[in-house]
Amino acid sequence: MKLSKPVINEAGMILLGEGTELSNALIERLHNMNVSSVYVEGAAAPQKPLEEILSELDARFKKTENEPNMGLLKKLFKEHIEGLYK
Amino acid sequence: MDIQALRSQIEKIDTLPTIPGVLRKLLVVIENPKASLNEVGGFIANDPVLTSRVLKIVNSPIYGFPGRISSVSQALILLGLNVVKGMLLGVSVFEAMQKTMLGLWEHSLGCAITARIIAQKKGLTEPEEVSVAALLHDIGKVVLGLKFPEEYKKIMAEAEDKGIFILEAEKKHFTISHAEAGAWIAQKWNFPRNLVEVIEYHHKPHLSNGVPVQTAIVHLSDIIIRAKGFGFAGDDFVPAVNSVAWQTLGLSEADLKEVLSELEDSLSGAEDFFLSEA
Repeated sequence: MKLSKPVINEAGMILLGEGTELSNALIERLHNMNVSSVYVEGAAAPQKPLEEILSELDARFKKTENEPNMGLLKKLFKEHIEGLYK
Repeated sequence: MDIQALRSQIEKIDTLPTIPGVLRKLLVVIENPKASLNEVGGFIANDPVLTSRVLKIVNSPIYGFPGRISSVSQALILLGLNVVKGMLLGVSVFEAMQKTMLGLWEHSLGCAITARIIAQKKGLTEPEEVSVAALLHDIGKVVLGLKFPEEYKKIMAEAEDKGIFILEAEKKHFTISHAEAGAWIAQKWNFPRNLVEVIEYHHKPHLSNGVPVQTAIVHLSDIIIRAKGFGFAGDDFVPAVNSVAWQTLGLSEADLKEVLSELEDSLSGAEDFFLSEA
């Protein structure tokens, strides 16, 4: 996990530069300095279990999935979501 | 109420006491087709809240400019008067959006981001115009919600209870939907013909003669952002994609996959923006 933005304290000092690889030790130190959140590269890990996300997708598509091209759209969404969990 | 009476009621919306003050002032500027770039720029610059909202939105993933835009005049030059007018309307109605329908602002922003991604994929010369149309496509919901608050609450409740599309519930009550209501008000406010057309036909994209590609993009973006489950547009279902719009765009499976993956990145980059605006 790399920082996508530098961590800056209230005085404007850069504590950690952009692109810094976060280690457990660094995270610990940030905690000690009361830094509650940082920006990291890439999409955030999805928070809900995969099954739940997929069953919500089913529910959203239930009225129209048999209409032309909607099956394809749903399939692409499903694959996309599964890809996020790999 | 017959349609003419309904239309004239909706067109009188600027006199409503519930209209946000900034929107009322703004309408004076945007309804004037002769307003110059300088006048509009001056109007924004005189209002610090508006200035910060405009700068926030132009620097958001909706537009995807690589560098930072730090002044209103720079935004006006880059985006053009029509886009900025639309965007101003968007930022001034977002409170009303959240009041009418919690999640409608997120739906609109998400739709604008999706539309920009598809427009760029299709090589449109003015992707910003499409994203501003997407940002405002559901303005009719705000208009109906502001003008007829009690009725619109009932409509939303009916959509939820019966599990139907909000569009169907609107038609049952008013005979028209938010698409017509939005087009009326956009016309009244002297919005460019193209923008009115996208708003009017985003659920019937095959009827768009002037800007079929733009309308098809907003139509598909609406579907994609609902399928993604991002924001709330009045019901929990994905509407069917119109076959004519699908053919007009001619996106391949690979194209669509790229759209979804770019959307994922843009939405996670925008999270900050959504939170701070809400």
